[in-house]
Amino acid sequence: MAIHERSLVEPERIVRKERLVIDGVDVSGDWNLLILPRVINDYDLDFGKEVLNTPEGKTINQCYQCSYCTASCPIHNYWDERYNPRHFIYLARLGMIDELQKRVDVMWRCVSCHKCTHRCPKGVLVEEVIKAILKVMAKRGLAEEYPSKKFDKFFTESVVEYGRIEDGELLFGWIEKQGYKVFKDPILKKPIPFVGDTPEWLKQLTMKPIKSMNIDFLLLNAKHMLFHPKTKNWNKFKQVLRKVMQEEGALH
Amino acid sequence: MGVIGKRVAYYPGCSLEGAARAYDVSTKIAAKELGLELDYLEDYNCCGAMESKNVTFMGTMLMNARNMSLARKQGHSVIVAPCNGCSFSLQRAEYFLETDKAIFDKVNALLREGGVDPLDQIPQTYHILEWFYTEAGPQKVKEKTRKPLRGLKVANYYGCLYTRPHFYARTYAHAGGQDEEARPRRRETADDDEHPYYMNALLEAAGATNVEFEPMHTQCCGGPHSLSDEMVSEKFVMMILQTAKRNGADIIATECPLCHASLEMYRHRLMMKGVPDVDVPAAYFTQLLGLAFGYSANDVKLKDNLSDPLPVLKRLGLA
Ligand code: SF4
Ligand code: SF4
Repeated sequence: MAIHERSLVEPERIVRKERLVIDGVDVSGDWNLLILPRVINDYDLDFGKEVLNTPEGKTINQCYQCSYCTASCPIHNYWDERYNPRHFIYLARLGMIDELQKRVDVMWRCVSCHKCTHRCPKGVLVEEVIKAILKVMAKRGLAEEYPSKKFDKFFTESVVEYGRIEDGELLFGWIEKQGYKVFKDPILKKPIPFVGDTPEWLKQLTMKPIKSMNIDFLLLNAKHMLFHPKTKNWNKFKQVLRKVMQEEGALH
Repeated sequence: MGVIGKRVAYYPGCSLEGAARAYDVSTKIAAKELGLELDYLEDYNCCGAMESKNVTFMGTMLMNARNMSLARKQGHSVIVAPCNGCSFSLQRAEYFLETDKAIFDKVNALLREGGVDPLDQIPQTYHILEWFYTEAGPQKVKEKTRKPLRGLKVANYYGCLYTRPHFYARTYAHAGGQDEEARPRRRETADDDEHPYYMNALLEAAGATNVEFEPMHTQCCGGPHSLSDEMVSEKFVMMILQTAKRNGADIIATECPLCHASLEMYRHRLMMKGVPDVDVPAAYFTQLLGLAFGYSANDVKLKDNLSDPLPVLKRLGLA
């Protein structure tokens, strides 16, 4: 297989020789740079098929590698060049799982801005495909816990449980997950803001404007934090949701 | 134009019932003034936003289908959502339900199992800005304006999902290079995809001046990673705020509670770090419309905004 991808050539495989003689011909100078060949035989073509069979990933094979998605991607442009949606699609289709695994630490960074999907000339749902690749990897145990996955699960748990989310719970629950000690009231077991450990920025963020805020707004949010807003006819539906998620293997 | 309908199902979303109360209140005010009617969707559930879709596909389809079913029960075929995340989620479900019969049938069976009426028809979801522009438009805003926002320089921030991706938002795809047949789901009322202007037009009609804000008007604010990937969000928000400030904006107008919260939170963090040119406050575009329609700062709950736009508005004699 020809190498199309510069990023697939590790620095260790690039060799520069002082003097190089091949078949009796001295090719030193411009020609003294060698890339040692690599034989890839551990690719897994089922991987691409598995992505293709998910509802989100079914457009993966339409990709013709033009890289418009990557050129549009803010994570690629403003944060980390290693984040490259076109490349992830390429690797997934070839089934080069070890290479994908090397990039797991950036793959989760997608902020779902959908510039890629919007601009793709071939109608690939790029963002969905990247998420599908991640999901398949997680299913196979190839992707560890990463921050956004933790948050996604935490969020979804709240939706499934109550039918609605609540901003205070999300914020303080997340802070707690980050290792801050959040103080909870003994009866309802709800976090009480600013009594326990709170990041400095959050304290300042709320303390300064809180003085000028309407009291009814503060009371409303306090009420929501204590008594989580709920969807009424939710219980039966919740069970169906849980069942569906169980089938998808989304609960662990 | 007038093709969406003046009375629609209103899906506020979780945020607007709590931290983004100001958006809810001011949206209702603006709608009333513009002669449009919002029918509150009773007992709705969360749309799953940008998070749940990464955990479960069928689950998010179901969550949104339930809301659609509620809208059908109240007799609507149009849902309007004021949040980019909500409208995205509903439109995404709409896309998959419409284009994949197998998913549609499965969702209906599961809805029945969960004690919800199955869908007889898939209601269409619009972002509230698209609805305001199509059904009322700048002309109507101009008629209703009693206190023009004279001298207020606004940077209009649209965020990601208002016009993207064209599969869901049904916008025209400029960059995709596709022909007409490839986009059967395109909608005439949709905003321009790369250069959205509906909010600019409405606020200009209300007397404000728009500043140049491209390409940051649709740059991501960190969105679903606002809490889980802080460094990236911080950088994105910095780019947005600095562009606004350096282009002379007094205020950023937003149309999504998530973007709004992200901008306000990170604005504060950046200011604490001493980053220059990030002190532009943010307000919902409906709050600004409300002010222009003659309502007071308290009516549109300007004090709810963490970034406190009051001093700027007071300086210009607008609040
Ligand atoms: S824009 Fe589309 S076709 Fe081009 S590389 Fe990205 S996914 Fe492939
Ligand atoms: S959705 Fe993700 S992959 Fe696509 S452009 Fe945005 S950050 Fe990049």
